[in-house]
Amino acid sequence: MERIQVEKTASRGIAAAPVFVYREPNLTPDTRPVTPEQTEGEAEKFEQAKKRVLEELQALAEKNAIFAAHMEIVDDFTLREGVLSKIKAENKNAQQAVHETIEEFAAIFFSMDDVYMKERSADIKDIGKRLMAALKGITLQDLGEIDREVIVAAKDLYPSDTVKINPQLVKGILTEEGGITSHVSILAKSMDIPILVGVSGILSKLQDGSMVCMDAGQGIVILDADEAVLGKFAKKKEAYQRERKRLEELRKYAPVTSSGKRISLCVNVGNVEDIRYALPLNVDGVGLFRTEFLYMENTHFPTEEEQFEVYKEAAVLCPKELTVRTLDIGGDKSLSYYEFDKEENPFLGWRAIRISLDMKDMFREQLRAILRASAFGHVRIMFPMLISLEELREAKLLVEECKKELRKENREFDETIEIGMMMETPASVLLAQEFAKEADFFSIGTNDLTQYLLAVDRGNKKIADKYDYFHPAVMRAIEHIIEAGHKEGIKIGMCGEMAGDARAIPLLLNMGLDELSMSQGSIDYARELILKH
Amino acid sequence: MVSKKIVINNPSGLHARPASVLAQAAGKCNSDVTIVVGERTIVAKSILNIMAAAIKKGTEIELRCEGTDEEQDLEKLAALIESGLGE
Repeated sequence: MERIQVEKTASRGIAAAPVFVYREPNLTPDTRPVTPEQTEGEAEKFEQAKKRVLEELQALAEKNAIFAAHMEIVDDFTLREGVLSKIKAENKNAQQAVHETIEEFAAIFFSMDDVYMKERSADIKDIGKRLMAALKGITLQDLGEIDREVIVAAKDLYPSDTVKINPQLVKGILTEEGGITSHVSILAKSMDIPILVGVSGILSKLQDGSMVCMDAGQGIVILDADEAVLGKFAKKKEAYQRERKRLEELRKYAPVTSSGKRISLCVNVGNVEDIRYALPLNVDGVGLFRTEFLYMENTHFPTEEEQFEVYKEAAVLCPKELTVRTLDIGGDKSLSYYEFDKEENPFLGWRAIRISLDMKDMFREQLRAILRASAFGHVRIMFPMLISLEELREAKLLVEECKKELRKENREFDETIEIGMMMETPASVLLAQEFAKEADFFSIGTNDLTQYLLAVDRGNKKIADKYDYFHPAVMRAIEHIIEAGHKEGIKIGMCGEMAGDARAIPLLLNMGLDELSMSQGSIDYARELILKH
Repeated sequence: MVSKKIVINNPSGLHARPASVLAQAAGKCNSDVTIVVGERTIVAKSILNIMAAAIKKGTEIELRCEGTDEEQDLEKLAALIESGLGE
């Protein structure tokens, strides 16, 4: 028996079942060159592989229309021409010709501005995988053929894998790669399957059929579980389901404390999909929209129009508020299309508002997009990482300039849009009274605030025990921020991990916090704590 | 060779579904069918080519047919594109 602890979790739920190990087949193309006499044979190999793949897809297309579209691509004229010309003109073997042609097409689609087209590059790679397996005579494992209850363990899962998952039979998913915002995480969330990603090294430790237990909320995985542990997990699962049902019943109540204070209960999101998943939880809206994902999952700085579309959709979905944080990049977050200088101390370096105020044209595009979206809901603008009033004033001035432009262009926006800031630097805490006079709201970012106040790098495992937002210095800072803000009559929220911590919520409510914004997995629990408070 | 200029009217441009209708229809023609968009010339028989050209609503394309049945093919395909390719 072995126990693995995973740090980042994005779902909840408990599962215990034999494991289905989904192994990545070796699809590396053969690089052996071919002689001109052999090219006919290679071309024939390709035609045969194509035939086999079309047959496979035909069977799948009956269940899901996406595979009918895949069939057309496999059968595509240009794809065939590309492969055949590589074989005949460049003396490449069929495997390499397929690999290169697929990569070329995937790159073309990936570089397109249209999000829909960009996503097609995954479809093309998927088709490449099938053709390669057919050429190599490998049978791909098929998640659709699972016929008993299992936990699936894989290196990573592709869209073509996940579409075949039957949530009745797949009780849990473990992947070695992928982040909590990856495709598979989002999909598992929507299917309500407990998932843990980033479980490194499990595949080498697992054999098909060995018993695995997982607690997604706690990030616990137990390999080769014995009877005693299985019994324990079965009980845990039952208790979890009862608890969940009970909490779901509470969703209909507005989050009001027993002393009558209405708390704003919001969710932290990185994209519009996240908002859709959170809506059934009866949240008030979004307390933190992390716009950096729009920039990170892109090939260029997103344009005003591209951003506007996203913010507008988000604004329409949010019942009470949508707080958009302007770009928070740098530190540990970089962009594929922009080269950042190497920095000795990236967390103390060129990041967040510092970048925005240095790259004003880019910043304007974002501000204009947010302002235009404010015509469609209750949108608020939030600046990250401020350390001085000058920065706040400069950023607010830019907002004013953008408003002026929009008025001239006769474009609608919310004239009274609120402009607030993250409280996450020690300087902002000490200047809270002054900031409160010029900002419309504060949102405490406990992750950075804790790291900066305690001088503890939250990524450093050696000092992980020192990273503690219950440290009296952090608690005192929070208290000070709330007091200073309330004196000026502004609302104080919190959007760091602490806001979703069941141990912290009663304390924060006592201190007078007005809004809690957290990942969706904590919403139900937080509501109960507020109702009980 | 015969050709005709047509403005694309599909709301999302030539994305997967209309691209597939066009590629299939072009594939059935005896003529060599090409589309000129800006400076690019693409083979209309290929759904990948059409999609990769990212032709948006309002774009003017030039449809070209070459072969023994070129007149007839051009007329047929132009009518299909103008009718919205099944959308």
